[in-house]
Amino acid sequence: MSAPPAPALTVGLVGAGGIARAHAPAWRALGAGLVVHSAVGAAELAAAHGGRVAAGLDELLDVADVVDVVTPTPVHLEVASAALAAGRHVLCEKPLGRTSRDAVAMLDAARAADRQLYPGHVVRFFPEYALMREAVRAGKIGRPAVLRFARGGMFPSWSPWFADDAQSGGVVLDLMIHDLDVARWVAGEITSVHATRRSLEDRGVPHTLAHAVLTHAGGAITHVRGLWGAPHTTFRTSFHVAGDAGTLRFDSADASGVRTDLPPVPAGGQDRPAAAAGESPYLTEIREVARAFVASPTALAPGDPHHPRVSAVDGVIAVEIAEAALASVASGEPVAMDTAARARALADLETTGSRA
Amino acid sequence: MTPTPAPLRVAILSFAHVHAASYVALLRDRPDVELLTADPDAATAPAGELRGAGFAAAHGVAYVDTYAEALAWRPDAVIVCSENSRHRDVVLAAAAAGAHVLCEKPLATRVEDAEEMVEACDAAGVRLMTAYPVRFSPEFGTLRALVASGALGTVLGGTGTNNGKVPAGRAWFTDPELAGGGALADHVVHLADLLDALLGEEPVAVRAVSNRVLHGDDPQVRAETGALVSLTYAGGAEVVVDCSWSVPDGAPTWGGLTLQVVGTGGTVEIDPFAAHVGGLVAQGTRQAWLGFGENLDALMLEHFLGSVRTGETPAPDGQVGLRTLRVVAAAQRSAAEGGAVVRLGA
Repeated sequence: MSAPPAPALTVGLVGAGGIARAHAPAWRALGAGLVVHSAVGAAELAAAHGGRVAAGLDELLDVADVVDVVTPTPVHLEVASAALAAGRHVLCEKPLGRTSRDAVAMLDAARAADRQLYPGHVVRFFPEYALMREAVRAGKIGRPAVLRFARGGMFPSWSPWFADDAQSGGVVLDLMIHDLDVARWVAGEITSVHATRRSLEDRGVPHTLAHAVLTHAGGAITHVRGLWGAPHTTFRTSFHVAGDAGTLRFDSADASGVRTDLPPVPAGGQDRPAAAAGESPYLTEIREVARAFVASPTALAPGDPHHPRVSAVDGVIAVEIAEAALASVASGEPVAMDTAARARALADLETTGSRA
Repeated sequence: MTPTPAPLRVAILSFAHVHAASYVALLRDRPDVELLTADPDAATAPAGELRGAGFAAAHGVAYVDTYAEALAWRPDAVIVCSENSRHRDVVLAAAAAGAHVLCEKPLATRVEDAEEMVEACDAAGVRLMTAYPVRFSPEFGTLRALVASGALGTVLGGTGTNNGKVPAGRAWFTDPELAGGGALADHVVHLADLLDALLGEEPVAVRAVSNRVLHGDDPQVRAETGALVSLTYAGGAEVVVDCSWSVPDGAPTWGGLTLQVVGTGGTVEIDPFAAHVGGLVAQGTRQAWLGFGENLDALMLEHFLGSVRTGETPAPDGQVGLRTLRVVAAAQRSAAEGGAVVRLGA
């Protein structure tokens, strides 16, 4: 693939959980040095990927050129703000914050520091989603009318904080936020959200199924379904996008170039889909973010050719859509939104720095 | 014991619905059925739609000009294939004549009409069945058995899709007056029926959003073509149904129906119209779709004729036709109110 960005970066990875294990090899493949700080698992992660361990966040910030925040959601703001205040660009795993207030505060911190901040909305970097979006934008299906997205796997019991709504925001904020973001990316700004969710425990095992229905300013309607299901559940994503001139569809269950018929895997399932083909979407994502990081020591304008395909404003709005969905779950009523106005307001802040 | 040496007399009333041709073909040559047809509203159909005596001649089936003549023949049963808004009058007349009724879906275009139809059939002592053929698919049978056996655990909810091409060949399907609406009226009922059978309960909250982006420039299509319906069932199951007419005209088949049900035991997904041979035909320019699934109309008619012979209540009956129409009416109200949640059974 393309050459690593030069000069070589040292990335400070804060967190050593599942997503850190996907990000670390991507940074290393790009030639970046790796420093890890985490409450647990830092030594194992560093050893596995040829990095070293920082004793604390301060030490990490001293030696890292850029910071990749892959902690549990509630800690994102604290870590990202410290990194930005120290003058480091930040890639922060989605959701940017547990609340939109946290996400906006992180955006403000990036502006105050004049540093780059990008949310890890990796689904925009999966080739099937990127190609679909490009085709829709090129008019291949005409005007988008009805979209469906589904995503799900086993309940993420590998780390206890996911099960705590107060920390993770549950399946809506942690998982469905991918498709809520992609729906806006593909079909445009959102004017209303209605969501339902059913959670229950069966013999001590939690399960959650949730639906969100979005209305877009351009007239399209979107269904997003998220599942944290039974422990054997294979991770699966799909979309079906219908417009007045055609349809596009994808289902990871049908898309593999490799079919296996092997003895059953041990209980525990998978936490992530295997890539359909080719390079890891995490590598695609991190290459694009790293390129932006090395292009400028300060923040990039949204129109800058080095700007990645996803912005901090997109990350804030994704949290706001998920938050509206959670509010709808709680009230049982649809929630009106105006993401177009929010995007303008947040972008104005970005260019004027008035909140800095 | 019901020794019936004489064949059953069955009248097909109206050729408005496209399924009339299927029913004629399935019943015409059976030795245990005598078939008569009538299509008095043929003259109201647009020129170019084969209806009435011409349709009967083309399909080689006996024909009379009026429903009164058909009912005076004393049929044991009738199959009502009129335009949706005209089901009511035909069913009431059939009940009054003492004929058991299989009525096309949706049972009616207004809940009051469906209530009246159910009451009239009950009062007359005739059976009323709603034509929901997907209920007879072996795939649904498998899903139902898995839920009933407990293999799926507690049902959390699911997703249903019933997408098709915009109905063509019969203009009334896209006339909101005659059809009772658009995609919501046409395609929600099948899934509502399957869920009714599967869960044994009704939705307590219905919410729908719709649009007319698909075929938005077609003056013949005046109702919604795209819609998403959120259903909360009494026991807590959360379901979303996509009932859009979103299959492009050039697709190799009419559309289909899928139902994915998620429970604490796992997920089961059915696609009753999936069985087909694919490929490319017409010098390689067109996708082939040679479906080989069960003939659901045949299975449904067999069940109906069986209920006529034995007097047993058919399933899906008129009551489920009525319950599912209530779901449609709630969805239509919600969509008309911009997506307000409609609560039922309070």
